Amino acid sequence: MNWVTIIWSMVASACLTLALTHLLIWLKRRQAWASLLFFVSATGTSLLALDELWMMRSQTIAEYTSAIRWLHPPAFLVIVALVGFVRAFLRAGRPWLAWAVIGVRALSLVLNFILTPNLNYSRITGLHQVPFFGDSVSVVEGVPSPWMLVGQFSFILWIIFVTDAAVSVWRRGDRRRAVMLGGSIMFFALVGSVYAVLTLWKIVDAPVMASLFYMGVILSMAYELSYDSARAIKVGQDLQESEHRLELAAEAAHLGVLIRDLESDEIWASNICRSIFGFSQSEPLDLSLLLRRIHPHDRDTISHVFAEVQGGIGNYEMEYRVVLPRGEVRWIASRGHVEFNDRGKPVRVLGLSTDITKRKVAELEVQQQRWELAHLSRVTMLGELSGSMAHELNQPLMAILSNAQAAQRFMAHNDVDLDEVRDILADIVDQDIRAGEIIHRLRLLLKKGEVQQQPVDVNDAVREVLKLIHSDLVNQGVTTRTELAPALPTVNGDRVQLQQVLLNLLMNACDAMNQNGPANRQIVVRTELSDGVGVCFSVSDCGMGVDPGKLEQVFEPFFSTKAQGLGLGLSVCHTIISAHAGKLWAVNNPDGGATFCFTLPVNSETAPS
Amino acid sequence: MSNVVPTVFVVDDDPAVLKGLSRLLRAARLTVSTFSSSQEFLEQLDPLGPGCLVLDLAMPGLNGLELQEALMKKGNAVPIIFLTGHGDVPTSVQAMKRGALDFLTKPVNDEDLLKAVYAAIEKDRNARQARAELDEIRERLATLTPREREVLTHVVSGQLNKQIAFDLGTVEQTIKVHRARVMEKMKVHSVAELVRLTERVKE
Repeated sequence: MNWVTIIWSMVASACLTLALTHLLIWLKRRQAWASLLFFVSATGTSLLALDELWMMRSQTIAEYTSAIRWLHPPAFLVIVALVGFVRAFLRAGRPWLAWAVIGVRALSLVLNFILTPNLNYSRITGLHQVPFFGDSVSVVEGVPSPWMLVGQFSFILWIIFVTDAAVSVWRRGDRRRAVMLGGSIMFFALVGSVYAVLTLWKIVDAPVMASLFYMGVILSMAYELSYDSARAIKVGQDLQESEHRLELAAEAAHLGVLIRDLESDEIWASNICRSIFGFSQSEPLDLSLLLRRIHPHDRDTISHVFAEVQGGIGNYEMEYRVVLPRGEVRWIASRGHVEFNDRGKPVRVLGLSTDITKRKVAELEVQQQRWELAHLSRVTMLGELSGSMAHELNQPLMAILSNAQAAQRFMAHNDVDLDEVRDILADIVDQDIRAGEIIHRLRLLLKKGEVQQQPVDVNDAVREVLKLIHSDLVNQGVTTRTELAPALPTVNGDRVQLQQVLLNLLMNACDAMNQNGPANRQIVVRTELSDGVGVCFSVSDCGMGVDPGKLEQVFEPFFSTKAQGLGLGLSVCHTIISAHAGKLWAVNNPDGGATFCFTLPVNSETAPS
Repeated sequence: MSNVVPTVFVVDDDPAVLKGLSRLLRAARLTVSTFSSSQEFLEQLDPLGPGCLVLDLAMPGLNGLELQEALMKKGNAVPIIFLTGHGDVPTSVQAMKRGALDFLTKPVNDEDLLKAVYAAIEKDRNARQARAELDEIRERLATLTPREREVLTHVVSGQLNKQIAFDLGTVEQTIKVHRARVMEKMKVHSVAELVRLTERVKE
């Protein structure tokens, strides 16, 4: 054994070891292209070292000729892999330069096998021994071939490519990497190339030792790759730590985490999530099990949301009820999003859920109280109207009684006019229906039913309210004028509550005018479509108007300008309109009196397009 | 004039009620005339024939009370029966003070209504008869000469012919002639009758 054998064998084995390490990394992570390219270049360098050793130990010209010819394939591998590495790892370098380097290098490889004896020499005349590292090694004697310039041109291109890539990495801001990797490749490539030129053109009488320089490049590449791996491990640890922290935070916030794999329909749920839905810590979950826990009333909505989310909406947010096995009902708020793969196919749903039962129950209670107050205010208002309601009901009753008794009398006559009796009976039926309708309207308003959201015909609702207080208006000598816009879209809401608001505004308008002379008691009721807002209702009176400083105060609870007013009517109206996503306000008319307006959003399903 | 059939005038803004009332009254063999508003009634019936008025209290435009007031201003004393949806005490008091004959709450039973209507027609007839008699007396009074009227004043105050002659500065015989003429023109046969007639005119 001597130093040359030891050094070159060590270079080869070191490179091979590094190569195999990164091959394993690549086998584990197929996306790690840099590792594969490193494997190729390190293997190439290893082969290069072995080939050089072969050259130095050659005893015959034929042996040396073969060795120098077989120097080119590993050199090609190393160059191509290094170009690829720069592209893949540094994400730099001009593609056309990369292709030029590979093209010229491939050309020199082809020429190497076409020309005799090889690319480098046109003729080999002999071998001689030179001292090297305290040893003597074989060095060639011969005529260098001009074709060798092709190979060397590829080195120049390669150095330009690497320099250009290093500069762009530097400019990008990654200066450390530009210097460490770009700089070292440039340095070793340049020195190695100069040395190769000197030895191959026989300017210096020394053996070829490119592998040593490539070894330098390989080492800096290995350093960079391991630097990245170390960083990845650190990131992984940080990630784990942050995941752990997140879990702690989720636990502290009582947030349940749920991950659903759409391909396998497997569901992973955190312990909190399991306890929210009433599952044990270990039982396997799937969507149908989860859906079974959801309240039957909410199940369709949830399924719909899931379908929509998977269809591409991506995010969801919802509140729903779950029923636990023991019958306990909980309110849950969930929000989450769907992850899509590169092809836009949904692969995973990530969701966070939290138990909002307490908040929801409180909310529902507040709402319940609000509706009860609305109902109370409605009943009080109808109480005020009871006199005129009675009158309204008395009209058909009066007509029925008169007709019936008239019929009795006609029947007592000798000459019974059957046509007359028939007319009478028809009128009785009509008036009975009329009375029924009045009672029905009253009952609806008095009823303490559940608030129902449904499409409401705006003008129809206005006309019905006007019918209801017709007698009251007549009694107070108030005339009404309606300006109802035709063909209005419907609004979404609770018909009874909307009518309550109208009724309240109309009664206030009447009260506002009770000091006016009989000729000056007019109410104008308008409906119109207001662009971008919805349907606008207004009730204008000719009263004394509202104190300009109190235009907003009138909607506050317990604010009243009437001696017997509780001050609840308008505040209840305000609550009702707000709950319908509308707005209620008051303005004073330029020619006296006030106008109360409210807007309601149009029911989107029936809005004219 | 008293031979004209009395008419029941009905004013109500509710067409169904108006129709029912009209039928009921016709079934009771009464002559009915209907109006859907106070204005319509005032425009169409001037002067008013014999009968009575059945009037709804709450109506748009002129209400029942306002129509009553308008009729009073015109000196029309047709008996009024008010109909109302709710027995509002202050309103009914006001109506009754102004001479309403009755104040009925809807729905009204036929017998109550007819009783009121008959009473009203009767009242109207009596009033019209009384008015007619009064007119007759006034006409008779108008035929007296100024001297005869002076004599009449003295006669009804209970003076004897002699005292009257003395007061008027004439002879008893002249007064006797005047007195006979007065009795003849006033179509009475006794001083007591003459006193009754003149008392009625004074009322």
